[in-house]
Amino acid sequence: MDRDLLRGEVKALLVSGLRLDVPPPDIADDAPIFGDGLGLDSIDALELVVLVEERFRVSIPDEEVGKRAFASVNALVDFIVRELGE
Amino acid sequence: MLAAGLAAGTCGIGSLTRFTHAGRAHVAAEVAESARPLPGRLPPATLRRLSHPDRFALRAAAEACAAAGLDADAGGDVGVYVGTTTGGMRETEEAYRRRSAGEDARFRLSRLLGTPLATAAAAVSQALGLYGPRETVSTACSSSALAVAMAADAVRRGVVPVALAIGTDALCRLTYAGFDALQALDVEPCRPFDRDRQGLSLGEGAAALVLESAAHARARGACPRAVVLGWAATGDAHHPTAPHPAGAGAAAALTGALAAAGVPPDAVAYVNAHGTGTKQNDAVEVEVLRRVFGRRLVRMPVSATKSQLGHCLGAAGAVEAVVTVIALGEGLLPPTVNLRHLDPAWDDLDLVPEPGRRAALDVAVTSSYGFGGHNVSLVLGRASR
Repeated sequence: MDRDLLRGEVKALLVSGLRLDVPPPDIADDAPIFGDGLGLDSIDALELVVLVEERFRVSIPDEEVGKRAFASVNALVDFIVRELGE
Repeated sequence: MLAAGLAAGTCGIGSLTRFTHAGRAHVAAEVAESARPLPGRLPPATLRRLSHPDRFALRAAAEACAAAGLDADAGGDVGVYVGTTTGGMRETEEAYRRRSAGEDARFRLSRLLGTPLATAAAAVSQALGLYGPRETVSTACSSSALAVAMAADAVRRGVVPVALAIGTDALCRLTYAGFDALQALDVEPCRPFDRDRQGLSLGEGAAALVLESAAHARARGACPRAVVLGWAATGDAHHPTAPHPAGAGAAAALTGALAAAGVPPDAVAYVNAHGTGTKQNDAVEVEVLRRVFGRRLVRMPVSATKSQLGHCLGAAGAVEAVVTVIALGEGLLPPTVNLRHLDPAWDDLDLVPEPGRRAALDVAVTSSYGFGGHNVSLVLGRASR
């Protein structure tokens, strides 16, 4: 799986799915997704779980997994690659 | 800006672009999206998801507070009284459309956050730091006329020192298709009081008014724009959509409001009519005015500013209260635009055709009549200076 392509897809999903007013390439690769940068809240977190599960056919069953998966865009890419690799 | 547009007789009704509509009518008075950031201190995630009517309400409320010299966070127990009919219906419809078109594989709950009618009051209060009581009312097209009355009443009864009255509504498929199915929409921009009138034109937007006692305004050095002299609300108990054929409830609201204001009918210098442009409304409304004002009506200017601003439904009452405040403050009789062929039954009346005109006004009336027979009349007076 092409990580660069996947990273682009994740960023595009963040922007379109959560209706963010930011160009996808401007989203940092390594900053926390739920840090101050993007101004996301708990409703966005619920939405993002659903969006990621739908789009990439992975499962984020609990907060523990979610915290790891959403640590950053790169962490999310790693998570998806690992999940789909199994 | 509104005053200038009213004086110029600007018609804000154009093509419907908000959504596709397969019916007969395709005109509406749409709000142009503003590029300016929304005022206040809402977190970015909340701002991003605000529905259109909540955005409208927030802009109007912030503008009203600024114009009143009301420092938002000093607001303390400012009460917030909102009238709306459909709240975030357009966003709700869009969520259903996306789901049924397969654009969202699952139903997106975040798109429904603006559905409850109370979200406008919540957003405005949080953004501007208003901690007083809140009430959201929905009485069809008189919703925000009632909100203005309730806000004035709360001040008068000493419930709050300052009250903010807001009317807000956004165009949505439900109301557009619904009014079109009732054949209540004109295919042309609406023509109130015209013999060829075919119905109303829907609009959208918000208006807000700051209400406080004269003593409170004086104490903080504020300059009042107008005075709420009285109001009354009645019900028709007649039909889900049609007005009472004799306008009994509408007449009772108008006479009740004048009585509450302690103003004789002869003292009214301007009537901002409900004036939707439907055959029925305009006919019944003029009969009501004739009954209440008698022969005096022939010398009383009556205009329908929905011809300029569209029928903003739940926002209409507050919008027209603001229009009436401007009329009083600026001595302006805003014209009934698109009125080209006066209905011959009314050729004795002064329905203020274009271009409108100037006149010193002390007392004016604005009435709003909602489906289901929800009637509200407000009597406003020029602020003494």
